[in-house]
Amino acid sequence: MKMRNILFMVIGSLLLVVGCAKKHDANERVLNLVSPAEIKGFDPIQADDLYSGREISKIYEGLLHYHWLKVPYELEPNLAESMPEISKDGLTYTFKILKGVKFQDDAAFPGGKGREVEAADFVYSIKRLADAKTVSTGWWVLDGKIKGLNEWRDKNAKLPTTNYDEEVEGVKALDKYTLQFRLAKINPQFIYSLAMPFTYVVAKEVVAKYGKEFINHPVGTGPYILPLFDQGKQITYTKNPTFREKFYPKDASPELQRLLADAGKKLPLVEKIVVHIIKEDQPRWLKFNKGEVDITSVPKDNFATAIKNNKLSEELLNKGIVLEITPGLDVTYTAFNMENKLFHNKKLRQAMYAAFDNPKDNQLFYNNTAFPAQSIIPPGVAGNDPKYINPFKGPNLELAKKLLAEAGYPNGKGLPELKYDIPDSTTSRQGGEFFQKQMEQIGVKIKIVTSPWPEFQAKVKKKAVEIYGLAWMADYPDAENFLQLFYGPNKSPGANGSNYDNPEFNKQFEDAVSMQDSPARTAKYEKLNKFLAEEVVALFGLHRQAYTLEQGWLKNYHNSDFSHDYVQYLNVDNAKKAELLKKF
Amino acid sequence: MNIYSYVLRRLLYMIPVLLGVCLIIFVLFNLVAPDPAFILLGKHATQIQIDQLHHELGLDRSFVAQYIDIVKSAFTFDFGYSWATKQNILEMIKNGAGPSLSITAPLFVISNIVAISLALLVAFYRGKFIDKFMLVFSIAGMSIPSLAVVLFGQWFFGYKLGWFEISGYERGFPEFVPYVILPVILYTFISFGGDTRFYRTVILDEVYQDYIRTARSKGLNEVVIMFKHVLKNSMIPILTNIIIQIPFLILGLLFAESFFSIPGLGAMIINAINNSDFPVIKAMTIISAIGFMVFQIITDVAYTMVDPRMRLK
Repeated sequence: MKMRNILFMVIGSLLLVVGCAKKHDANERVLNLVSPAEIKGFDPIQADDLYSGREISKIYEGLLHYHWLKVPYELEPNLAESMPEISKDGLTYTFKILKGVKFQDDAAFPGGKGREVEAADFVYSIKRLADAKTVSTGWWVLDGKIKGLNEWRDKNAKLPTTNYDEEVEGVKALDKYTLQFRLAKINPQFIYSLAMPFTYVVAKEVVAKYGKEFINHPVGTGPYILPLFDQGKQITYTKNPTFREKFYPKDASPELQRLLADAGKKLPLVEKIVVHIIKEDQPRWLKFNKGEVDITSVPKDNFATAIKNNKLSEELLNKGIVLEITPGLDVTYTAFNMENKLFHNKKLRQAMYAAFDNPKDNQLFYNNTAFPAQSIIPPGVAGNDPKYINPFKGPNLELAKKLLAEAGYPNGKGLPELKYDIPDSTTSRQGGEFFQKQMEQIGVKIKIVTSPWPEFQAKVKKKAVEIYGLAWMADYPDAENFLQLFYGPNKSPGANGSNYDNPEFNKQFEDAVSMQDSPARTAKYEKLNKFLAEEVVALFGLHRQAYTLEQGWLKNYHNSDFSHDYVQYLNVDNAKKAELLKKF
Repeated sequence: MNIYSYVLRRLLYMIPVLLGVCLIIFVLFNLVAPDPAFILLGKHATQIQIDQLHHELGLDRSFVAQYIDIVKSAFTFDFGYSWATKQNILEMIKNGAGPSLSITAPLFVISNIVAISLALLVAFYRGKFIDKFMLVFSIAGMSIPSLAVVLFGQWFFGYKLGWFEISGYERGFPEFVPYVILPVILYTFISFGGDTRFYRTVILDEVYQDYIRTARSKGLNEVVIMFKHVLKNSMIPILTNIIIQIPFLILGLLFAESFFSIPGLGAMIINAINNSDFPVIKAMTIISAIGFMVFQIITDVAYTMVDPRMRLK
């Protein structure tokens, strides 16, 4: 027998064995999703990135979550029976939690049967997030907010073991189903933290049983189960058989009425979810085009062929693929390190902003898909005035040159070369070169400094940069999350990497963020937003939009920045899938 | 020298080398690498949190204590937990070694068989059309960037023809097989050019030796000459080249694992570097160093087996 024949036989037999091993139930509805980043594991207190948060939210749940069909974002009870009762002084939040919610079955519980969730479990979960020994990446959401919690953390950090039995004044279980938070100061943004994966409820006995391996043994109350996380590139979830009676929402904002076909149905809607971890653009794109993945973003290099004038290409339309364009709550910006006295010169900052060709930046790096940012607060968040036009936003070379001369540097004379720090990726490098050319037009010399991402971050945190480029994605839909980027006490190593510290702004910011959501607060946010914009504390670039493609057989999907638990609402039409796949 | 004494002596030599490796790791981490706290605590880090994290990670201890910890982990293989993923590092290595080997082992066997066979063939037909053709083909294989080969292979064989999986991985045999065929084929193409050129040179060195001329003049069959005499006597450099690849098999293919979504050690190393995950970088450096030293000993012992003239000293 020829060698070639033997080789074909071997490969053929292997594929046959594999083919036989793969048996699928034709009626089973399976979602095929993609994560473009590694999943760090399944411990809620470590869920500091979007992708880990999304995986954790398939298994764990919190007191609150965002309504799936409401825009703008709206919080609603999840494991809480109702929204909290807030005391008149705005300091006490009392929650009644749902009765009869069970933790998923696991060997950590007696008889392997998950027990009922109690208010005390939330107290434990909050303390666990605060425990310095757990090295949580999410402590910032509660830092300084709950009465006595910082003191408890600091005291226990010095002890060999953390005393979870010690009471904390600000977080108490009043009875089996009543949970109370007492805040250290008025903080209306606190409520958003209760919808974030960091504060999801975990069971003490499961943490105790698995110890450091808890991160691989997720046991929550959520719609799906995963017996063991093996750090692979494919995560397969199955329906949680003990999931409570939870139903698809019956009400929706006018924009999302089209997603009410499954209203009132018991959740979750699909039996199985397979998450493929694919970091590279090409394989992710090819797998979607082959029908193996249900949702994808459009890679930069494929954008021009897939989408023209915000419409899908003929080829993709024929496959039944649907395009969804959603504004993201984010902003790209170029920041000045205000510790450098040179940047105290407001005219210089304004001149640089006027020189920068923002529309060209949008065209070159975002295929014209983003909105020019006039200020830091993105559209869709209270505090953004859609009519506002920043008078210093470029390109306006005449104005830029005039402002530069008024700043004391006519045509850049006398101005030292400025260092522009960026991460060392190809796109960042191209962005840096574009910025350099823009500034050259008015005589401002820029030296590009590239560093690997960890080093770049370290430089910003150590105030060792002059100018640097970054993007900020909202943690929650409140303007405070954007304005705090220029709040003095948040200076590096905090989130205020520009180290801007203006006592007047700080005071106004503190006043605004302590107010409950109201037209008065929105007016204050708008004022602060315009103040930062015209101070040109940074060169505000773009608010990006998400271009998402969905397969024609996928139902109920829309893009959401904060609904991490969205998969429970998704559905798959198997008949339509079989039909559409013939076109692939 | 007795083979056992030789191996024992070489194993003892490994100790000072390993201490040196630990010192280099320690110096690089403490002097060159950025503070991991900035990565681990993210965008909202405060100075108090950074100080607490330094304490929890043991970074506020004396340099001597930190160095001793590295040495201890090198000799006990207890590498602790990853700072970035909070996973047990030994478990991470165990989980990643299988997928890495599922690509690198077949790739290692196939690419070496292909390269040696082709080298024998072109050496046999040296100067003829097939030799010249293989020369052009090898240089083309060496010149085309591996990224281009992977991108084309995924698009053409995976997407257009649909013969293989585009990317992904399922654990266990035979589930993983469909996912590794394409990367193995593409990387065989990527590596065959350089290997074939190397083995051809080695084989040709032998082909022109006096003893080969003698064998020919005695009327020995050319095939017998190539396999029994030329190949056997070329084995020292071939073995060196082959064995030295073995310890690196476990490290996987850095680029390919990311592109084909293989959950191997190559992808793990890249993530660790991107996240300043020092314990993982430390563990992989120590394991690579030990693997390299062990296989150097194996290479030396193997020499004596293929060439009786060699003696261990």
